[in-house]
Amino acid sequence: MRNSAKHQWIYAWLLLSPAMIFLITFTHYPAVQTVISSFFSTGRGRRKSVFIGWDNYATLLLDEVFWKVLVNNFWYAIWTIPLSIIFSLAMALWVNDKLRGRGFLRMAYFTPTVLPLIAVANIWLFFYTPGFGLIDQIRGLFGFAEQNWMGSPDTALYSMIAVAIWKEAGFFMIFYLAALQTIPPSLREAASIEGASKFYYFRRVIFPLLMPTTLFVSINAVINSFRLVDHIFVMTEGGPNNSSSLLLFYIYEVAFDYWDTAYAATLTVVMLAILTTVAIGQFFFLDKKVHYK
Amino acid sequence: MSGAEVTLKNIFKSWNEISALNDISLDVPAGKFTALLGPSGCGKSTALRIVSGLEEPTSGQVFIGGNDVTHIPPAARDIAMVFQSYALFPHLTVAENIVFGLRVRGLVRKERDEKLKATAQLLGLSELLDRKPSQLSGGQQQRVALGRAIVADKSIFLMDEPLSNLDAKLRAEMREEIRALQDRLGVTMLYVTHDQVEAVTMADQVVLMNHGRVEQVASPRVMYEMPATLFAAKFIGTPPMVTFSPQLLSHSLTPSLLKKSQNLTFGIRPESLTLNDSGLINGTVGNVEYLGADALIECKVGDEFLLCRAPGRTQLTEGTPINLAFNVKDLHVFNTASGQRTDNMLPEIEMALSSQNASSELAS
Repeated sequence: MRNSAKHQWIYAWLLLSPAMIFLITFTHYPAVQTVISSFFSTGRGRRKSVFIGWDNYATLLLDEVFWKVLVNNFWYAIWTIPLSIIFSLAMALWVNDKLRGRGFLRMAYFTPTVLPLIAVANIWLFFYTPGFGLIDQIRGLFGFAEQNWMGSPDTALYSMIAVAIWKEAGFFMIFYLAALQTIPPSLREAASIEGASKFYYFRRVIFPLLMPTTLFVSINAVINSFRLVDHIFVMTEGGPNNSSSLLLFYIYEVAFDYWDTAYAATLTVVMLAILTTVAIGQFFFLDKKVHYK
Repeated sequence: MSGAEVTLKNIFKSWNEISALNDISLDVPAGKFTALLGPSGCGKSTALRIVSGLEEPTSGQVFIGGNDVTHIPPAARDIAMVFQSYALFPHLTVAENIVFGLRVRGLVRKERDEKLKATAQLLGLSELLDRKPSQLSGGQQQRVALGRAIVADKSIFLMDEPLSNLDAKLRAEMREEIRALQDRLGVTMLYVTHDQVEAVTMADQVVLMNHGRVEQVASPRVMYEMPATLFAAKFIGTPPMVTFSPQLLSHSLTPSLLKKSQNLTFGIRPESLTLNDSGLINGTVGNVEYLGADALIECKVGDEFLLCRAPGRTQLTEGTPINLAFNVKDLHVFNTASGQRTDNMLPEIEMALSSQNASSELAS
């Protein structure tokens, strides 16, 4: 008996170990190492990395670029999260109705999600090109002047935001669409017998029933607002004057352009802290309002 | 609250090539319980949805209380509806589900609460008002759906197979309850079901449908005793009416009468067939189905099988020769091709058979 119990114990570890090895190597160890690194200086050449306590965090507080990208990221999140959710919900409601070419529309909306962001960033680059880009050509028809969308500090960030929304909305739409299809049509009929308007039915029935999806989508949207920076590499590289730089992009710059890995680790810890706080807050705030079946 | 009558006039409904309703004309009397009965796919639910306004007819007119409502939205039709799936809003409490429609119409809170209280009391839901539908049993959910219909104060109730998701015992209870409710509220009830027991036990008037047409409109008693078509004869009753060709009685009918009857089908209820040595029908016992109080005896005559209801204590076994007798008044005659009841041949057949019966009785 003892022997077989011991065998089971070994089996358990053997079965767990492949996943565990990968998780520890690529997730847990780096995460812990990042936190540790943030308390050390960056080693360069003969100068060894040494423990410097909270010095990196002190630097961070005085780093103007950090504050700039944090504010940028704030606006980036403020615009992309609600807008991508609203658009995705609207698109889902639309293509959930009986209409012609529904399959084609669904596919069209989903395409941005399938395409690599690096590739579509190049297409958007053409849209934004001053003078002969698509947007300026259309504006030209109405007599508006040329606009350097990505070259001007006033519009660069918002140009990036538009691309992110375009990319994300189709993805979230799929979740909303799936959730909408689980709502039985008899609810719609029961509401219409009671005389509920389309909007009333949406507000009192559809929207509350979609809350679990909204919670899921909004947490994803928050994470993406920090994570989705591929297009910035292709389109603006954070410029001009860091006006379109975001926290993750700045971390990349610090780590792999300036090779200040310790400071990059510090920035990463800050970003993780922000994300965790927001996600937990969101979960507790929204969870009370969510009806799970 | 009192009922209003519903009238359908020449209703056709088709989707693309598929025709669901074919010239339905129907009167649903005010304040009465009318059951729409038929096998699945016969168009009964479609007919109900056309009355409700959830579906528009391809052609024809719907009248409620004498007014043409064919193109009027459901909410303006003075109807309440109970769905087969109950269609309760899963995220709302029982109370919110019941007053959903009152809120839509913007009733003030005080009135809403009063109506809610009265309805909940009527249905025994008072203790459950704060629960969500998922925390209720099937029967309780059914009551909430009823509550939503009652609280609306409408004069017509439409019900689409409301009991089909309940177990047998609960179904029998709810049958009585719904019937009592209709009596008490005095509303016009239009009730769709595929279960003839429901229709027969609950309704004042049964509308039997088949293939998008009305087969017969009658009271349950008339529907059972005088089925207008072969389909009605075969649909109502458990077990259904036994039908057989006139050939089976060939030795009792004159050749000329037999010739006249060749495109007819005879029908008789199993309980009207009795075991009798001098009976006109001679066959052998087939399968015997024991039901407790009764036993259903299959009687093989030539190529045809007749069912006879006998007392449960019968000791008949397969293969025993038996004779079945019947009262000629219990014989139903139908035209085989059209399926229509043909009473005009009945006197002649009755005469022939009763003289036979008399002579056979004399002989014994």
